[in-house]
Amino acid sequence: MAAMAAAAPLGCQRSDDGRKVIRVTRNIGGREGFRIHFEAWKAAFEKQNHGWTMELIDLGNAEGSEFYKSRIATGDLPEIVMTWQLARMLADGGHLVPFADDYYNKFGIALPPPYKGKRYTTQGGIQVQGIAVNKKMWTDAGITDAPKTWADFMAALAKLKAKGYMPLSYGAKDWTAAMPLEYAIATSLYYDRPTPDKPSFTQRRNTKQVRFADEPEMRIILKNLIDLIEEFAPKGAASDGYNEEQRDFYTGKAATWIMGCWIGGDIEPNKVDFDIDYWPIPSMNGRPPLFLQTSEIPSGWAITTSAAGDRLEKARAAIDLFYDPHVYQLFLNGESQVGAAAKVPVKGPQSTWPPAQKFFDSMIASTARYGYTPGFHIALDDMPPLNFMPTLAAVCQEILAGNRDIDKLLKIIDDEWDAARKGE
Amino acid sequence: MPPGIRLERRRCGRALPGWVASVVFCGPAVLLYIGFMVLPAVLGGYYSLTRWSGWTSDAPFIGLDNFRDLLGDIRFWSAVRFTLFETVLIVLFFTFAALVLAVLLDKVTRLKGLIRGLFFYPFVLSILVSALLFQYLANYREGAVNILLRWVGLDILAQDWMGDPDLVPYFIFALVAWSGLGFFTTLYLANLQTIPTELYEAAQIDGAGPMRVFTRIQFPMLLPAITTSSVLALITGINLFGQIVVTTQGAPGYRTVTIGYYIYQLGVLANRQGYASAVSVATFLALVAVAAVQVALLRRKTVTL
Repeated sequence: MAAMAAAAPLGCQRSDDGRKVIRVTRNIGGREGFRIHFEAWKAAFEKQNHGWTMELIDLGNAEGSEFYKSRIATGDLPEIVMTWQLARMLADGGHLVPFADDYYNKFGIALPPPYKGKRYTTQGGIQVQGIAVNKKMWTDAGITDAPKTWADFMAALAKLKAKGYMPLSYGAKDWTAAMPLEYAIATSLYYDRPTPDKPSFTQRRNTKQVRFADEPEMRIILKNLIDLIEEFAPKGAASDGYNEEQRDFYTGKAATWIMGCWIGGDIEPNKVDFDIDYWPIPSMNGRPPLFLQTSEIPSGWAITTSAAGDRLEKARAAIDLFYDPHVYQLFLNGESQVGAAAKVPVKGPQSTWPPAQKFFDSMIASTARYGYTPGFHIALDDMPPLNFMPTLAAVCQEILAGNRDIDKLLKIIDDEWDAARKGE
Repeated sequence: MPPGIRLERRRCGRALPGWVASVVFCGPAVLLYIGFMVLPAVLGGYYSLTRWSGWTSDAPFIGLDNFRDLLGDIRFWSAVRFTLFETVLIVLFFTFAALVLAVLLDKVTRLKGLIRGLFFYPFVLSILVSALLFQYLANYREGAVNILLRWVGLDILAQDWMGDPDLVPYFIFALVAWSGLGFFTTLYLANLQTIPTELYEAAQIDGAGPMRVFTRIQFPMLLPAITTSSVLALITGINLFGQIVVTTQGAPGYRTVTIGYYIYQLGVLANRQGYASAVSVATFLALVAVAAVQVALLRRKTVTL
């Protein structure tokens, strides 16, 4: 790979091989809603661009770092890539084609924060992260409104446990391990949006003005996380991951799932037949609870430098068709997101499956009621290191493995932050 | 030289110079070796002196900074410790347990092929398949091991084999042991066949029991095979990677991160390609040193024999 990587910048970029195809990456995995959207997007593209097709490269549950780097090494990136925060690395390497502001205006999309003066990604919808609850179980435990504080939340889980329910769906084998800690940090240390007077925690951590180990709130967070995992993580959680979490919750076994709103897109495909409410993240610092909103920065697709000549034109056509009302509706349905393109006559997710529609309604109503913070998803140049989530996952796994030394756990976060910054 | 060949040469006219034949026959292999082995190794050496993320074409030169960082890298030393722990278990098991098994299998006369085949077949499976299989077996709630234990009423023994920090090193070891036992056993079995039958007959006449036959005949005669086995087992242990990627991915926390997996984490997941190269180079140099010691010991052993 090193040899190929060295050769790539020397002019080994693969030229047009003659196929009329636009290759697109997407992390579909087992998410049927994502697949339905892609098929509709592809069909719309093929209908309007005779002789051309779109080819899916499914990244599964991965964010694609390995895939993209190997394709950079061979000079063969797909024409359109779903980027998230990897947009920063791809842009730094000169692999992305920026969008003009006109593009966003055409669809009524608020301009995303630029990265080094340019904007590289489409914007999907508004994605929030909160807590999904099995309404019947929670009602049975006597709770019908969202817990406001962490203490309320823990008390509610205790009631569910006392009723004989599995209170929490939690798997710590993969990235899902990080979710409770991510929620806690994003809604505590990043509760307020940054201002010129008070930059984000990320910026202050980068310049070493602050450290996780010195933050009293971090000690409270880890203490609370230890309590949560000790009391409510199912035995054997270390063997399980996202798929097991989904199965436990969607089969009506577990009462609570700490997971992003995209889970709503799988309610109909999985024929989940009970009502689910979507509630905000309870507060650990005495402030009101709120949702985490992660889509203000790149939440969509970018065009790579592999798209040249005809392919660039067709890649732009494909990106435009993302906002075709039918395609965009299916995107919002699959991701369970609220529309972010004001000029597209589609406002939010819809489903003919009643539990799915009830979830969408609950999510929209709760978001409007409680509001949200972008957490640490502020801008591409104002984000924690790329390995931040894996680090948080490792810390939660440590807790699950019996580590109760908060100083050591905080040291892991600080050390990994500093080490990761050396790679950027 | 046989006359036929001389005749053939005459028919073809002048023979090709030796160097042309070398280039024609060895050239492609040498080129492939240089392209896929030597060049990446040299580039890896160069990148170890840079701060390269893997995403850009420029790799800023930083001299020996990566190697200085390495000395104080807690994660690296933790990976070294875990790798060495696994390696010790693996070397001991493949060197001695496989030897004992081979001696026992050598005595089997009925269904010999079938029984040997059963032990060998896990080695035929790819690491990916073996690791996935173990992952399914070891799942706490639905893994076959725990289901079986619960079924026979031994619920108390059902464990989180991959999540318990005290058990997971042995889970990894069990996976490697199961996968490789057949290969190492076969290696010994093949060498057992080379021991002259006269030695066994003489021992029988002298009234030697199985233990004496093992300690006085089989073990000494198998010493070269034991040396080979231990070297191969050492390589297996140091190279632990695929098993980790598929099963634990270094978890819980970073407790099952091996050197190979750490290099992968750094280079591929954390975008520290330069530093990952430095870890690779340092590990390579350490292995060269170990190999040099092994070779020296091997030579001494040969003289003793």
